[in-house]
Amino acid sequence: MSHEDEPDIHTYLAQFDDIPGTRVYTATRARKGYHLNQFAMSLMKAENRERWKADEAAYLAPWPMTEDQKAAVLARDYNRLLDLGGNIYFLSKIFSTDGLSFVQAVSTMTGMSVEDYQAMMNAGGRSPEGVRSIRENR
Amino acid sequence: MARIIAGVGTSHVPLLGVAADGGKDRDAYFGPIFAGYDWTREWEKGEKPDVVILVYNDHASAFDANIIPTFAIGTGERYKPADEGWGPRKVPDVIGDPDLAWHIAQSLILDEFDMTIVNEMDVDHGLTVPLTMMFGAPAAWPVKVVPLAVNVVTYPVPSGNRCWALGEAIARAVASYPEDLKVQIWGTGGMSHQLQGPRAGLINAEWDRRFMDRLIGETDELRHVPHLEYLRETGSEGIEMVMWLIMRGALGKKTRLLHRHYHVPCSNTAIGHIVLEPET
Repeated sequence: MSHEDEPDIHTYLAQFDDIPGTRVYTATRARKGYHLNQFAMSLMKAENRERWKADEAAYLAPWPMTEDQKAAVLARDYNRLLDLGGNIYFLSKIFSTDGLSFVQAVSTMTGMSVEDYQAMMNAGGRSPEGVRSIRENR
Repeated sequence: MARIIAGVGTSHVPLLGVAADGGKDRDAYFGPIFAGYDWTREWEKGEKPDVVILVYNDHASAFDANIIPTFAIGTGERYKPADEGWGPRKVPDVIGDPDLAWHIAQSLILDEFDMTIVNEMDVDHGLTVPLTMMFGAPAAWPVKVVPLAVNVVTYPVPSGNRCWALGEAIARAVASYPEDLKVQIWGTGGMSHQLQGPRAGLINAEWDRRFMDRLIGETDELRHVPHLEYLRETGSEGIEMVMWLIMRGALGKKTRLLHRHYHVPCSNTAIGHIVLEPET
């Protein structure tokens, strides 16, 4: 049973796929990305950041992640990492360690340059017009 | 007897902490954001709350992917600023109020809100940025804090209605605490923002403003806004606004507006700030 404001769990989850350009962090993604996210979390410790910076591949080696996940981490391919179960708040530990701001890192997922993305934000951000629903094309 | 004297809503963008800590809070970019908090900083000096119940979300700092509490209450003596990947913020430790926190936790559980209880944790920008926005950079925070962390990251997150009802239960718990305390409740996070995927950068000022409008007065419409609407209209991270509903619920049937502020952008995010008091 669910509350009247939310549909049952199957409908609830299915409706998230209708939002353009968005990966909602559901249990399916959380399961897939568990070790990826835990790896990212490990970079909150200064000593781990030092070991990571010294040799990224060696640092990743013992983590039980898929080869796809490891390759996407090394490539800093954040859209791919979202597809592979990463969550942005966990992934932020990677780009923070790189010295990137949220704007710099987030812009890489949009296909825009950092400058263009920043200009869009300064002009009021991306309009929701046309990116609310794939099915309803609004 | 303890009582809830006011509610505050505010965004908690980490860049605001960076700006304040680096002395950039009055520059051309950040000045208009911080100016909207000047009223509140003066007001807080007069209000002198004893305790703030600070509703926020942990951004993969104290809680990793392992344990995901839907509602967690901090019952510790003291909380340190978290190292979020660039070293901890150089702000004072946050001092808890274990007696009040345990009283609220116990009362909530008897009231059928099955809280997770946390004795030790670090607190990230979700909690320390609101303190900075309201109090500036004092040597010690002028209030004790009861942290209340909400899962708004892994779906399903709690419904708007559940958050509102939790606020109502918090108000009952505070009202039954024997010590004479002035308590504020803050709801933080939001407003519209999306930090992921090709749709990142989404801002919906019209929706945000309507959300703020509906925190004022007697309406309880916001109880019934489904998650899908937040996601579609306000971006994937706009869902943080459900935490403001815990604050709103705790203020009772009717509220009065004392102050509001809205600004786009800060980093990827729309900044919203509101100060309300219960109206009887």
